[in-house]
Amino acid sequence: MEPAPSVEVENLRRTFKVPVRSGGLRASLRALVHRQFRQVVAVKGATFRLEPGEVVGFLGPNGAGKTTTLKMLSGLLHPDSGRASVLGFEPKRRPRELLRRIGLVTGNRTSLAWDLPALDSYLMLRALYEIPKPDFENRRDRFIETLDLGELVTKPVRNLSLGERMKVELVGALLHAPAVLFLDEPTLGLDVSMQRRLRRFISDYNTEFGATVLLTSHYMADVEALCKRVMVIHRGRIHHDGELSGLVARFATHKTITVTGQLPESLEAYGQVAERTGDRVTLKVAPSEAGAVAARLLADLSITDLTIEDPPIEDVIVAVFTGAEEAT
Amino acid sequence: MIGRYYLAQARQGLLHDLQYRTAAAFSLFGFLLEPVIYLAVWRSVAIARGGAVAGYSLDQLTAYYVVWSLVRAMNLALTPYTWEWRIQSGRLNDLLSRPIHPFHHDFAFFAGQKIVWITLWLPFAVVLWFTFRPSIEVTPLRVGAFAVAIWLAFTIRHMFQFLEGAVNFWTTRTSALFQLMVGVELLLSGRLVPLALMPGWVERLAGWLHFKWTFQYPIEALIGKLDDGAILTGLATQLLWIGVFAVAIRLVWGRAIRRYTAVGG
Amino acid sequence: MRSVSLAWAFFKVQAAHDLQYRANFVLQLINSAVALFTGLVAVSLVFQHTDTLAGWSRPELLIVMGTHIVLGGVIASLIEPNMRKLMEDVEQGDFDFVLVRPADPQLLVSIRNFRLWNLIDVVVGAVVVVSGFADLPVRGGAVRSVAFLAAAALGVVVMYCMWLILSTLTFRIVKGDEIIDLFQGVYQAGRWPVSIYPNWLRGSLTFVVPLAFAVTVPAETLSARIDPSFLVVGLGITAAVVAITRLIWRANLAKYSGASG
Repeated sequence: MEPAPSVEVENLRRTFKVPVRSGGLRASLRALVHRQFRQVVAVKGATFRLEPGEVVGFLGPNGAGKTTTLKMLSGLLHPDSGRASVLGFEPKRRPRELLRRIGLVTGNRTSLAWDLPALDSYLMLRALYEIPKPDFENRRDRFIETLDLGELVTKPVRNLSLGERMKVELVGALLHAPAVLFLDEPTLGLDVSMQRRLRRFISDYNTEFGATVLLTSHYMADVEALCKRVMVIHRGRIHHDGELSGLVARFATHKTITVTGQLPESLEAYGQVAERTGDRVTLKVAPSEAGAVAARLLADLSITDLTIEDPPIEDVIVAVFTGAEEAT
Repeated sequence: MIGRYYLAQARQGLLHDLQYRTAAAFSLFGFLLEPVIYLAVWRSVAIARGGAVAGYSLDQLTAYYVVWSLVRAMNLALTPYTWEWRIQSGRLNDLLSRPIHPFHHDFAFFAGQKIVWITLWLPFAVVLWFTFRPSIEVTPLRVGAFAVAIWLAFTIRHMFQFLEGAVNFWTTRTSALFQLMVGVELLLSGRLVPLALMPGWVERLAGWLHFKWTFQYPIEALIGKLDDGAILTGLATQLLWIGVFAVAIRLVWGRAIRRYTAVGG
Repeated sequence: MRSVSLAWAFFKVQAAHDLQYRANFVLQLINSAVALFTGLVAVSLVFQHTDTLAGWSRPELLIVMGTHIVLGGVIASLIEPNMRKLMEDVEQGDFDFVLVRPADPQLLVSIRNFRLWNLIDVVVGAVVVVSGFADLPVRGGAVRSVAFLAAAALGVVVMYCMWLILSTLTFRIVKGDEIIDLFQGVYQAGRWPVSIYPNWLRGSLTFVVPLAFAVTVPAETLSARIDPSFLVVGLGITAAVVAITRLIWRANLAKYSGASG
C-alpha cells in the first residue's frame, strides 16, 4: 500500500469581492455614499497531490493565485468549493493536530515579536508548540550555527536587516520540525547570496526531516535550485504540473544553437538569427530540428565551438502565460 | 511659493481625514469627553456651593467647557513624540531636503485637518448645548476676536510642541519630559479648570507663561469673561508669544539640525 | 490548564526581558508620579471649594481614583499592548501568523504581549485606595476588602472584553490608533464616580464602556455604598459579557477567513 499523500487538493475554488477605488477628491466624496465592488476569481478548480518529502514549486506571476492556494492549504482561507486535505486533515477546520505539524514562512514578513530578541520568541514558540526541551535546544542550536546567526538572535528583531530577519524567521518556523512547510515568496527582497543560503537551508531541512515543502515564488532561481517538480499557475489555473525539464520540453518553442567560427553573411538557411557579434552567432531553431541543424553547421562551415541549449526558463514561462492568455 | 505649499499640504490633510473620517470621528469623541468630565465635576461643586464657584456661575462654567471643546479641537497639534520616529526612520531627511523650514509641513497639514474636525465637532456641540443649556452673550467683537484667537492659539501650541520635539535631537529619553509638560499644561493653561479656581499663586504663575493663551484666553474672550480692552490686549499677547517662539524655533532648530547633520542622519 | 501555563510561559519571557531595561522603570515611575500628582491636585481643588462631591466624601473619591489607577495599570500592562498588536497585525496582514499556530487565536492574541513596568500603577493605585480606605468610618473591613478585590477582578475581565470587541472593529474598517485614542479619552471619565455625569453619558459608561462596572462598583463595594452580595449579580453580568465577546470574536474570525454561512 502506498503512503498517503501529504497534501491533496481537488477542484479548489476561491473568489474575492474587491472594492473599486479611484483617487482624487471627487471620487473620495462619491465613495462616501456609494461603494462599488467587482468579483475576482483567484483560484479556479485546482487539483493536485504532494507526496511526503516532495519539494514542489508553485510558479506564477503576481496575482496568479499562488498565495491564495497556500492560504487555503494552511487554513487561513476557506475555499468556496472543492476539497483540500493536509496530512489527512481539513485545513479550514484548523485542528490543533494539524497546526502543530505545519509551518508557514512569508517573505518580507516576520512572525516573531518585534521588540524582543529572536531567542525570546523561540522560547515562546517552544511553549506554544510544546516542544520537549532537549529537542528544542538541539534544533535551535544547530540551526543557529548552520545559518551563522550567533549574535543576531540576541538583538531585538526590529534592529535586524531584512536578510537577517528572514534567517531568524526561518529558524523559528522549523523549531517544531513541521512535516509540511509552506513558503510564500521566502526570498523576496533578499540579495543573491542570502537567497542561496536560505535555499540551501531549506533543502537540507527537507533532506534531513523528510518534510514536504510547497514553495511559491516568482523567482525562477528559487524553483530551479530547490524543486524537481513545478506547478505553473496563471490567472487561477494550473497550466503545468510536472518536472521542470518537462516544462521546457512542453512549452519551449525553440532551442538555441550558439556557434563560433568562420561564418558567412547570411545564415537564414539554418535558422533565425537571434544575436550576432564578431565571429559568434546565436540561432533559434525548432526543438525537433536542433540536432539536424547542428550537424549541417558542423559539416558546412569551419566551426570552433558549438552549443545547443534550452531557452532561459523565464522565456518558457512567459510563453506558457501568453499561450494561456490566447487559450482563454 | 510658500502659499502654494500651504494649500497643497492643507489639502493633503483634508483628504487624509476625509478618507479616515470614521477614525477621525472616533478620535475626536475620545478627546472631547475630557471637558464633559471636568464640567460634570465642577457643576457638582458649583451646585453644592449654591450656584457659583470662584466667580464662575453655573452658566459660565458650562459655557466654558463647551467652548473648551472647540478650542481643544483647534489646538490639537503634532506631538513631540513624532520626531523620535522621524529621526530613527530617516523620514526627517525627506523633510530637511525641502526648501522650506520643516515647521510648515505639519502646521499646514494640521491646519487642513481642522476643517474636518470642526465639522465633526458641530454635532457634538449641539448635544452638549441641549444637555446643559448655557446662556452667553455674544457681541461681534467677541466672536471676531474668538475666530482669530483660536487660530493664534493653535499656532502657539503647535510652535511650543515643535520646540519640545527638538529635544529629540539631543536625547532619546524624552517621553518623561513630555509627560511632565502635559501635566504642567493641564494645570496652568485653563485646561483642567479656569485659572480663577486655582490658588492665587498658580494663577499668577500662569500669567507669565504661554499656556493660558492656548486654552483659557480664547474661551474667556467668547463667553464674556473679559472686557473689550482685555480681549484686544489678549490678541496682542498671543501675537507676542508667537514672535517669541518664532525666534526660539530659529535658534533651537538651527542648532538641532546642525547637530543632526554633524552626527550623520 | 494549558491556557494558563501558556500565558505564564509568555509572561515569564517578557518580564525577564523588561527587567533588563531599568531606564523604562524610571520613566514609568515619572509618568505615574505626574499622573498621580495631577489627579491629587484635581481632588484637592474640588475639596477646597466643597465638602462633598455629589454625595461623595473625600476618602470615597480617593478610593475611586485609586481603583481607576490600578485598573489603568492592569490595562496598560496586560490588555492594551495585546490589543494594539492585534490591530496592527490585522492592518498589516500579519494576523495570518496567529491563525497558523496551534492555539486558540483569542487566547494567543490576548497573552503574547506584556509590559512589566506598567504594573507600577497597580502599586501606586493600591496605595491611594488604602489611604482612602483608612480614612473611612466603616465596619467589616476584611469582608469588604475581599469583595473589593473580587469586584475589581470582574471589572478587569469586562474591560478586557470591551477592548477585544473594540479591537475586532479593525477586522472591518477603522484604524487602530484612533480606537485607542477614543478609549483613552473615555477611560479618563472613570476617575470620578459615574453618578456625577449626565444621564446619557452615564448610560454609555455603564453599558458601552463599562467603567461604572469596572471602577465605580468595586470602589462602592469597598466604601460600603454597595452591599458585597452585589457580587453575585456582577458574576452573572461578567459571564454574559464573556460569552457575548466570544461570539463576536468568532464571528469576526469567520469573516476574516472568508467562511461562508
